[in-house]
Amino acid sequence: MNFARQFLALLRVNLAGLVERPTSALTILVGVTCAVGALVSMLAMGTGARRQELGNVRADHVILGKTGERPGQSDIPRDEAAAILGLPGISKGSAGEPIVVFESMTFIEGRRRGTGARIYFPVIGVTPNVTDYLPEMRFTEGRMFRPGLHELIVGGSCGRQFAGFNLDDTRLIHGVAWTVVGRFDEGDAQQCVVYGDVDSIMSAFKSNTYTSVAVMLRSASEFGAFRGAVAANPALHLDVLHESDVVEDEFKQLNAILYFAAYFVGSIMALGATLGAVNSLYAIVDSRRRELATVRAIGFGPGPIVVSVLVESVLLAIPGALLGSGLAWILFNGLAASPFGYSIRLAVTPALVGLGILWALGMGLLGGMLPAVRAARIPVTTALRAI
Amino acid sequence: MKFLPLVWSGIWRKPGRTVLIFLQVCVAFALFGVLQGLKTGVERLISQTRADVLLVHGSLALFDPLPLSLLEQIKSVPGVKVVAPVELFGATYQSPDQKLGVVAVRPVEGWLSAFSFTIAPEYVEAFRRLRTAAIIRDRLAKKYGWKIGDHIPLLSKTAQKTGSTDWAFDVVGTYDDSDLGGSGDTLLINYDYFDEARLADTGTVKHFKVAIADPAMAATAADEIDRRFANSANETRTESMRELAQSQLQSIGDLNFLIRSIVGAVFVALLFATATMMMQSIRERLPELGVLKTLGFTDAAVFVFILAEALVIFMAAAAGGLGLALTVFPLAAKIVPGLSMPLTVVAAGLACAVFAAIVSAAIPAILAARSNIVAALAGRP
Repeated sequence: MNFARQFLALLRVNLAGLVERPTSALTILVGVTCAVGALVSMLAMGTGARRQELGNVRADHVILGKTGERPGQSDIPRDEAAAILGLPGISKGSAGEPIVVFESMTFIEGRRRGTGARIYFPVIGVTPNVTDYLPEMRFTEGRMFRPGLHELIVGGSCGRQFAGFNLDDTRLIHGVAWTVVGRFDEGDAQQCVVYGDVDSIMSAFKSNTYTSVAVMLRSASEFGAFRGAVAANPALHLDVLHESDVVEDEFKQLNAILYFAAYFVGSIMALGATLGAVNSLYAIVDSRRRELATVRAIGFGPGPIVVSVLVESVLLAIPGALLGSGLAWILFNGLAASPFGYSIRLAVTPALVGLGILWALGMGLLGGMLPAVRAARIPVTTALRAI
Repeated sequence: MKFLPLVWSGIWRKPGRTVLIFLQVCVAFALFGVLQGLKTGVERLISQTRADVLLVHGSLALFDPLPLSLLEQIKSVPGVKVVAPVELFGATYQSPDQKLGVVAVRPVEGWLSAFSFTIAPEYVEAFRRLRTAAIIRDRLAKKYGWKIGDHIPLLSKTAQKTGSTDWAFDVVGTYDDSDLGGSGDTLLINYDYFDEARLADTGTVKHFKVAIADPAMAATAADEIDRRFANSANETRTESMRELAQSQLQSIGDLNFLIRSIVGAVFVALLFATATMMMQSIRERLPELGVLKTLGFTDAAVFVFILAEALVIFMAAAAGGLGLALTVFPLAAKIVPGLSMPLTVVAAGLACAVFAAIVSAAIPAILAARSNIVAALAGRP
């Protein structure tokens, strides 16, 4: 009780004293704001990337690729792919046929909207039952492509990022005009996705093998049985993977770079801000030598003094964290950054703001530690004699 | 010079404070060095790539095959010096995870001018003479213990006419590649041997490398090549190696805004902190400065002392921070192979340090210079 009373009295005196030294308090605030702002905005890129990557991933989706090859870059012959249709555990589509999508992916050239910069984006040839495989796919404009024709359907983000993806736009692929006949909304995913009929795409690119096969299972729990059935079939030399694993693997490198960069920059700036806080708090404590000696002389314990300085430091750091997160949100939230060829919409989430506050708490506590100990150790007699 | 001890003792008046400011500046410049180094390093890498070497590829994608028959037409374009057909394919050595990139080239007269390879002349000669010859990246020699004269068996997805996917080449030399993307495990083989031996896609190339006689003509030659094949079944897209590097590294350029914001934030926080500290320090030292003035030091001398103290701390700390950045830079540079920190960044950093020192010490120094002796001795501003 006594401890709490002493602590509260000291804290009130400390905070009132800050008004006289606004620059020292501001130094801590500005330092923490910048450090948290940088950390949160860099992490927002990683969070945005993850949100996009895993946005449309479903537990009942599995991807097959040739053994030892990456799905999307492997070569699955047509007869081997056809054998997958007869495997057990596959969900049935509206017409009663198994939901197995044969895919053939290639990259073609596009132009970025605005800058006109050249970029290569994936065109995925798929069988028309892709609509059963992706139930969340909704057409916002136009219609599905018709098999055998040179028609493309495009995701919503393509139109935002690249030129030439409006309805009825045509683009030449090997001298043949392909028409955009539909635009669809792809849920959370922000990557530009373009689909066309798999047979048309394969004949246009003179390819005779699928690059991957996507399967929708009756339920996620069938995965083990399905994998077993593939392994037991001597005609199939395929790896069976969860969709989430394929996506994670694809983005592993990008995520590693983004998180490394965020924590590298965030930590260095936090170190700088902590050093600044230590210096400012030392100055604040020094300017209070007389008051501190007085309260020690009238019987205040060292414990409340230490805690009061620490709390003061944390109280100065928290607004910095909020301000920093706020600035990151205003400046960067929703902004599309495209590091390393990916297009990422930065996402400043409550979890990130929470992390920023924790980070600030750490800076406040570490920065306050030494000055607090010094405050409690001020020798009463010499300090009073100095008056 | 004789006043140096005075400046020195001013710096160490409160050692704890000085050390903290030193560390803070040091940290800020270490971060500046790494971030700015990445940005400038990438820009320098781009400017080092060659603008007088063109790459002709299919208009749809980088790896869309083109017929070899385009070669003569490309050659007849004014300004074109050398046209070298290039085919690329993947292979593995012994186990599926020991992957190799195989580059099939035709060693036509002067072909090396269209590439960024460094090869000893005797190897080039041996390569030209032996159909099954291979020149390997020097690091492969270390990795797999290959020597000149070795017969190396490779496995590939590309089949031979016999149906076999086994290939074998004879090592005749080693090479080094200074190109931006030239960091993989690659070997060079003869295009003509490979093209005759393979089952499918005979007579096609992945791209043509074109060397231009006069770099100033590169852009017109590139346009002319694309114009010749426009509206044909094999539309081409011709880019200089520099343009390619630019679009590859464009992505990092997209981060410039973020890098600039962060560097900006670092300096705002730093200047604010140091300026406050200096102010505080000068206020505490007013009586001592008053004593100096009583002894006959002019206002200007006091001004210079304060500024000199700040400059010494900032320069030393910035040098330390940039030195730190130089040592940790290889770690951050893993993203882009071949990236090194340009020394201009160090120079720019030191210039920034001078600027930061002057900005944060100017107001306290003016305050100190203007202070009245009597008031200063009493500790009043």
